[in-house]
Amino acid sequence: MKIKDKIILWSRLKSPWLLHFNGGACNGCDIEIVDALTPKYDLERFGAVLKSTPRHADILVASGPMTRQQVKRIKRIYEQMPEPKFVMAVGACACSGGVFDGCYSVVSGIDKVIPVSIYIPGCPVRPEAILDGAVKLLGALEASSK
Amino acid sequence: MSKMTIPLGPQHPALKEPVNFTLVLEGEQITGSTVNLGYNHRGVEKAAESRTFLQDIYLIERVCGICSHSHTTCYITCVEELAKALVPERALAIRTLVAELERVHSHLLWLGIAGYEMGFETLFMYSWRDREQVLDCLEMVSGNRVHYGINTIGGVRRDITAEQKKIILSKISYLEERTKYYVKLGTEEPTVLARTQKVGMLPHDVALERGAVGPTARASAVKRDVRKDEPYLIYDKLDFNLITHDTNDVFGRLVVRVLELVESYKIIRQVLNYLPEGPIAVKVPAKIGPGEAVSRYEAPRGEDFHYVKANGTDKPERVKVRAPTMANYPSVSYMLDGGYLADVPMVIAAIDPCMSCTDRAMVYDNKAGKVQIYGWDDLRKYGIEHYKKRGIDFSKM
Amino acid sequence: MSEFEKEEKIKAQLEAKFGAAITELTIQRKNRIWFEIPADRIPELMKFMKTEMGHTHLATITGFDGGENLGANYHLTDTHGIITVRAKTPRANPHLPTVTGVFPGAVPYERELEDLFGIKIDGLAPGRRYPLPDDFPADQHPLRKDWKIADAYPDEATAKQEAA
Repeated sequence: MKIKDKIILWSRLKSPWLLHFNGGACNGCDIEIVDALTPKYDLERFGAVLKSTPRHADILVASGPMTRQQVKRIKRIYEQMPEPKFVMAVGACACSGGVFDGCYSVVSGIDKVIPVSIYIPGCPVRPEAILDGAVKLLGALEASSK
Repeated sequence: MSKMTIPLGPQHPALKEPVNFTLVLEGEQITGSTVNLGYNHRGVEKAAESRTFLQDIYLIERVCGICSHSHTTCYITCVEELAKALVPERALAIRTLVAELERVHSHLLWLGIAGYEMGFETLFMYSWRDREQVLDCLEMVSGNRVHYGINTIGGVRRDITAEQKKIILSKISYLEERTKYYVKLGTEEPTVLARTQKVGMLPHDVALERGAVGPTARASAVKRDVRKDEPYLIYDKLDFNLITHDTNDVFGRLVVRVLELVESYKIIRQVLNYLPEGPIAVKVPAKIGPGEAVSRYEAPRGEDFHYVKANGTDKPERVKVRAPTMANYPSVSYMLDGGYLADVPMVIAAIDPCMSCTDRAMVYDNKAGKVQIYGWDDLRKYGIEHYKKRGIDFSKM
Repeated sequence: MSEFEKEEKIKAQLEAKFGAAITELTIQRKNRIWFEIPADRIPELMKFMKTEMGHTHLATITGFDGGENLGANYHLTDTHGIITVRAKTPRANPHLPTVTGVFPGAVPYERELEDLFGIKIDGLAPGRRYPLPDDFPADQHPLRKDWKIADAYPDEATAKQEAA
């Protein structure tokens, strides 16, 4: 690996910036995502920062069963993110539709719309699970570039 | 399976939820605004018709992750009325306890968001750290941090032990101390006052006209609180004050919420001391009705309203949910009109609704004749910078 | 006096004003009154209840599908009790008058009736649809009892069948 690539990989691993997207979730997962950033869990110690523009983000943290109204919006947001990009499906709804599977206004799962890198189950997910998912994602990124 | 409709983004709004606002500007001043809802519509009401009454509890709980207990209690009250079930007193007391713990968690959450929107991130971190204490209590009582699942038709699913009671009381004492600090901060800190006073005005008669509910209405001196007006659970046995404020602005909404925290601590203590002995649930037949019932519940954000129609089978014929933020949206347009662009995040956050980073506010500048699209974060930064230039700066604290 | 003194008073007041138009009035329990009124009298009734009887808050409007008739329940409160007013409209040509003249906050509730039940609201100001997605077929109304998800999304329904 060239020194340039090493630096890029190092900075990628040390500053995974997050973009949070609510695809029609009940807010349970969303407050737990924010909770993971606050002092008790402190996801920020891994260099993660919650950003609000897709152009700055590395990881799309998406929750909710994806309402049909939002399908076009999440596609556009995904396209706006710079490469390499990752998608974290947070919660049972984002993974498979959860309790809302079969409702007429949802497509049941974010992977029906955009590719997902890591699934975090739970209804709602616990902040510990989000931490675990983030660390596993970074670990996989490091392993794949060796 | 497959059917239900519960307008969510619209109906049950909270933090980071998708909603779209269109603002019309003249210079920095807002001359018109519309709220576009529907991004979070999942169809819960249709789905509720294809599930049994018991299964619906878990569905209705997921209408909202912040006031999940409010929705299930409101729904269950309707169902129990139709089934003519006599719920044991101890179960009602436990429901009341969880309800008030939920109010504490929701108001602390709001306080943090309000701090974040005004650029006071220390307050955000403080109040969310303290909020963990309540979440610990809820987890201990119910087994989960967010969706408690403590309600069941005819009672509750878990009892409270003497040991749990002691732990809750000690955590409440800690929070009471912390809340004194928030009260001081909210009412005396000049930077907070400068960002909240005379912002997002909602006069008393407009609040009534537009049907505002909860702390939004109470900050405009509307004496409306279902816990007092039509006591449910065991609220008629408890001693607490109805908090109102007459400044009609964001400051009033902040004060009302912080003082309601103090009342909630009082209620939690009373409930724990009252807790009568006895069973925690009664058996209720699966087939219910026929009949119709409506019920109301004072959720942290205001009046929650449920309608249930049963037709004698084990599934409801119709379920209708009207969450408090839905009732507050008509007031938002009024609060925004005539205000400044820099105040938009504070005003919208003050009704405790949804805000989404991914949702955009479209800004039309009539003079320049161009359309500029702001993200929520850009707008928040714009607001913070706007006030910094005028000497209101949280970074110097 | 009976135990429902307040409710009886409301009943008498309503019947004095609207007479035979009010049908099926029941006092379910304390603070709960239900009755039915012809759809065209709804705005007049709302105005009367708001100005003369102090029921200043329209909690929400619940649409329903009762087979031959569609209709709506208007839930009014005076902060202490809930009065539910039922109005029916034929399924073949469903329409109800708007109450936004009396309760400006009712706009989203009425849009819901239009979208989810296909009840045309006479006099409702035009605006963006709510709450269904923008691309949802305009002639389908999911909360009607005979509606199936396959009506709007036939491809998905067949895909699910094949998977099963």
